[in-house]
Amino acid sequence: MIFLDKFSEMLKGVLEGMVLEIISRGEIYGYEIAKRLHAMGFEGLAEATVYALLLRLEKNKLVHITRKPSEMGPPRKFYTLNERGMEELASFWARWDFLNERIQTLRNSGGKGI
Amino acid sequence: MSFSRETMEKIGKFAKEQAQHYLDEAEMTYMEKLRRKSGQTKDKIRAKLEKFKSRSQTALDAQNDMILYMSDYMKDLMAEGLSEQEAFERAKEDLKFRSDSAMSANLQERFASYYESLSPADHEAVGLFYAGFLFLGVAAGGLAGFLGGGGREAFLAGGWIETLIGVVVGGAVGIGCGFFSNAVIALKRRS
Repeated sequence: MIFLDKFSEMLKGVLEGMVLEIISRGEIYGYEIAKRLHAMGFEGLAEATVYALLLRLEKNKLVHITRKPSEMGPPRKFYTLNERGMEELASFWARWDFLNERIQTLRNSGGKGI
Repeated sequence: MSFSRETMEKIGKFAKEQAQHYLDEAEMTYMEKLRRKSGQTKDKIRAKLEKFKSRSQTALDAQNDMILYMSDYMKDLMAEGLSEQEAFERAKEDLKFRSDSAMSANLQERFASYYESLSPADHEAVGLFYAGFLFLGVAAGGLAGFLGGGGREAFLAGGWIETLIGVVVGGAVGIGCGFFSNAVIALKRRS
């Protein structure tokens, strides 16, 4: 996506929600999440960003982790959402809907319809 | 697809070095914090710390995560036509901890928030408290010393030492009160 660098600041606020949504769809490992994001058009997303985000999700206890053997040696972590992660995801979409609705109103009527 | 032993060693070394930067301080052992902050004396402290448990499970997990993440990324890059060495260099560059990464951004936000909440009025109040208590302490201490020492006649006859002691003690008490006021203001601002 050519204008990714233009909204990297905006993306920071929603990336966690995006990753939570991806994890909510089924067990997945770290790099696969990055690949999914790239496939969606976020090619310019730094690899380190997703890695750091996953560490944060784990630290904030939003994900359940299952370790499975990998061909590289260390066990591979697979993520699924736990109850707290589900709540956080629901909260993210509620905030998103609220913001989206207001932004659309602003775009359509300059905020006069509020 | 597997990597050469040399590349695997490089990946491991890179992950060990970089993974800890991504970990929040709260997740690090005291030893790791020391190691990170030690700067120039890093090697010296590391040698001493080797006697103790040197890495937490969390740090090892983060390191392993990075090894796998980097390996997956390198495999993709090699599938695109890069050599093993080129893929390693590119992955190293992309995964290197940067000052604009999430943790650092968080730290910057905290700094910004701290400086935004700083008010010149707070500093002025702290300064006035110090000065006020110091003057009060010196005046009260000096007066107590002067009167306790025998008044004007005793003062002129060489009894000024009591007054001086009163001034010094009063000044110290005043500065002490200033410290308390400073602490109260700091705690109020924090809450």
